[in-house]
Amino acid sequence: MSTGSVLSEERGARGIPKAPFIEDVEKYLGGADAEVEGPLKKIQDAIAKYRYMDANLSQRRLGLEEKIPDIKKTLSMVEYLHERREGKSSQSEDDLEDDLEDEDESSSSKPLKTTFELNETLFAEAELEDSDTVYLWLGANVMLSYKLPAAIELLRSKLGGAETNVATLTEDLEFLREQLTMMEVNMARVYNWDVKRRRERRLEEEKTSKDTSEKEGG
Amino acid sequence: MRMIEQEQENDDSTEVTWEDQQQINLFSKLNTRMKAFEAKIDEAKQEKEALDDLSTELELTDEDETVLYKVGETFLHMPLPRATKRLEKDQTDLDAKLAQLTDSSTQCETEMKKLKVALYAKFGTAINLDE
Repeated sequence: MSTGSVLSEERGARGIPKAPFIEDVEKYLGGADAEVEGPLKKIQDAIAKYRYMDANLSQRRLGLEEKIPDIKKTLSMVEYLHERREGKSSQSEDDLEDDLEDEDESSSSKPLKTTFELNETLFAEAELEDSDTVYLWLGANVMLSYKLPAAIELLRSKLGGAETNVATLTEDLEFLREQLTMMEVNMARVYNWDVKRRRERRLEEEKTSKDTSEKEGG
Repeated sequence: MRMIEQEQENDDSTEVTWEDQQQINLFSKLNTRMKAFEAKIDEAKQEKEALDDLSTELELTDEDETVLYKVGETFLHMPLPRATKRLEKDQTDLDAKLAQLTDSSTQCETEMKKLKVALYAKFGTAINLDE
């Protein structure tokens, strides 16, 4: 039994330590008479560590997952603006567009009318002049103007990035879950091995005491 | 999920091999994945319901009326045909997403069932593979 952590040196992706698999409990503990308190404690420590990592990563994923709808909302708005502009400049692309053309002719000459949230539960109307530029909030009190196609591209790449991040985090979390399950099984096996050993010892004792009492009786 | 083997109950305790361990790991992983899918499916179903309601609502609206359609955080005033078209697009997108989610979750489920059969066959009551 090593003195350090029970976690192996081996690491999975992104440095998460791999949990060891116990082939043979007795060998792992170091013999039939090995004590289990220490190893059990170490396994519990490892489980606690994995749980901590799990909570940490889950939190991070939650934060990212909250960001994705925001990006999607912005993207759909910019895409709408872009489509509207494109629809006006280019003539109908297919038959489906045809019946919308009349509407478009009349509507896109007018500014786009919107109702937006000024503050919670307070909405105001605004008219958007036809424009090929939008301003995207980049954070750190900075806003940058983008042409519509560039804005769409930027938002799409951000969305893609966020989604890949979530996917990697999910992968990590699944890896963690595997290690955690392994440690839980390890703990159960060590514990059960100890229970079994104790029972065997008790039976042994009972047997020997019975033997001696029989001898004394006879 | 808990997977405690109560080996004290059955004396001829089965040894856990590396294969078993891997199967247990996989099951645990799929179980977590499954829960995530379920949450997402619920969400998508609610969204679908809202869109379906909206579609009925729009059918009742006058042809030349302007409706408010929510894009992002803002309501856009748009003519009915345009809104209907947009709604249709949103609905197909959502349907595709929902179908994909249901697909993945069914796949998860069948795999979990297989693992359950294999693991229960080996460990019997010593293992608990429910939530």
